[in-house]
Amino acid sequence: MLKIYQRLWQVNWAEYWQYRANMLMYLLYWLISPIVYLAVWTSIANAKGSVNGLTANDFIAYYMTLLVVDQLTSNIIIHIFAYKVQDGSLSSELIRPAHPMLTNTFMNNLASKALNLLVFIPVWGVLWLLYQPDFSAVTALNLLIAALAMLLGFLVSFLLSAAITSLAFWTTRVYSVHEFYFAISLLFSGQFVPLQLMPQFIQTAAQFLPFQLFLYFPIQIILGKLSTAQIAQGFLSGVIWLAVAWLLFRWVWREGVKRYSAVGA
Amino acid sequence: MHIFKLLKTFLQVNIQMSLAYRADTVVNMLLNLMWLGWELLSLSIIFANTNTLGGWGPGELITLLGVFRMVNTLMSAFIWPNTEKFNASVRDGSFDYNLLMPVDSMFLVTFSRITVWRAWEMLLAIGLLVSGISISRDLISLPGFLGFLLLVISGMLIIYSLWIVLIALTFWFTKFDNNVTILQALMDAGRYPISVYPVWLRIIVTFIIPIGVATTIPVQALRGELAGPQVLLFAGVGVIGFWLASRVWRAGVKRYSGASS
Repeated sequence: MLKIYQRLWQVNWAEYWQYRANMLMYLLYWLISPIVYLAVWTSIANAKGSVNGLTANDFIAYYMTLLVVDQLTSNIIIHIFAYKVQDGSLSSELIRPAHPMLTNTFMNNLASKALNLLVFIPVWGVLWLLYQPDFSAVTALNLLIAALAMLLGFLVSFLLSAAITSLAFWTTRVYSVHEFYFAISLLFSGQFVPLQLMPQFIQTAAQFLPFQLFLYFPIQIILGKLSTAQIAQGFLSGVIWLAVAWLLFRWVWREGVKRYSAVGA
Repeated sequence: MHIFKLLKTFLQVNIQMSLAYRADTVVNMLLNLMWLGWELLSLSIIFANTNTLGGWGPGELITLLGVFRMVNTLMSAFIWPNTEKFNASVRDGSFDYNLLMPVDSMFLVTFSRITVWRAWEMLLAIGLLVSGISISRDLISLPGFLGFLLLVISGMLIIYSLWIVLIALTFWFTKFDNNVTILQALMDAGRYPISVYPVWLRIIVTFIIPIGVATTIPVQALRGELAGPQVLLFAGVGVIGFWLASRVWRAGVKRYSGASS
């Protein structure tokens, strides 16, 4: 099994390596909106002194951390898998004795992440020099706990996206469904604004939803903003969501493959 | 006129094509409405925490959102679909047929595909403009409003011209087929007044990929922040940009030698 992963890593990495120049372009997508939000909120914080107790420095630290966490926990399944169902090219993967989603698509995501990071790290370094974020509250222990939280966030996000992308077995409108999911996730993950500035009902809802595991929860751990009890509560909700996402994916996948008719192949 | 007749025909053909996907059209319109809700919610979160953003009130930001959505309509109704078709046609040589037709090739390449349902986004944009302007009507004078209209048009012209240049580069570099990705990536910067951005980002969205010129600057004119000569300067940039772009396009077409021959 390990050998399968190893081989798939080589294949996917080699494929991405061909497009390394394009990566710089795609990186812009990731960068622009957090930087825009950063600018918006620091401008407000500077004008007023602070927003709800958050200073300009807090916003800078938040969004600079967000850029890293987003790189690590996000996935691109919808872009690399849905079309395979539609054009039938999934067939050749289905007859192999390895799960298409959990092996090939998984390694494809990791390879794209690795290459992205190669470009991202120097860019982030430049931003760090420009913004001089105050990371004094970050400790090694925080980072270690956050690494676990990000692993959890990545797995939950991967399985949920995998389940939603598997709706491609039923409908060609899977991209629209995913767009809807994406919008919800932008709102509840803390991408637009640190969740504590949201209206109360959104904050309450966010606690029970999986999306904050992708960004807000790890970011707050790194920045040392959470108490031990809050961290424990976050991990508990993360583990529950991991189980839910796993069962959901398993079920959608099993029913979906039954319906698969390999159009075009 | 010749051009209008052609546009009408293009529109008819594209409406017929999209009628085959009626349900998708409805889904797309609903999703677009959802994003509008998202954008208004984010504005309401901002203004729950502050009275002004870079000196602008809610009315101006709603107007800005309207202008942003107009530019976005231009992009998604014309730029994306036509670029896709154009890139493919240069690669496989079917661009030859464009040159054979007795119509300006630049016109043909940029208007033959139209994503019809985006007219809906245009309607929403106009709704935003009307409500934004009426919210902050106390700030607005008639010359400001006229300057605003002029600069919205010239802003669109600037984006259109930049697009022409970007796709014309394909004549020199055939593999340059993510030619408009950079436009797409920077779009998000158009939703907020560029005066709140750090200097380097302001330079990028003003001089390199002038999304800010197309969105923030018209609203500045509306608020009376720009003097008459400045308004004329930006309008002039639009005209000159368009002239330059058509020169680049013509030079590019001369370079084109067909993929099959």
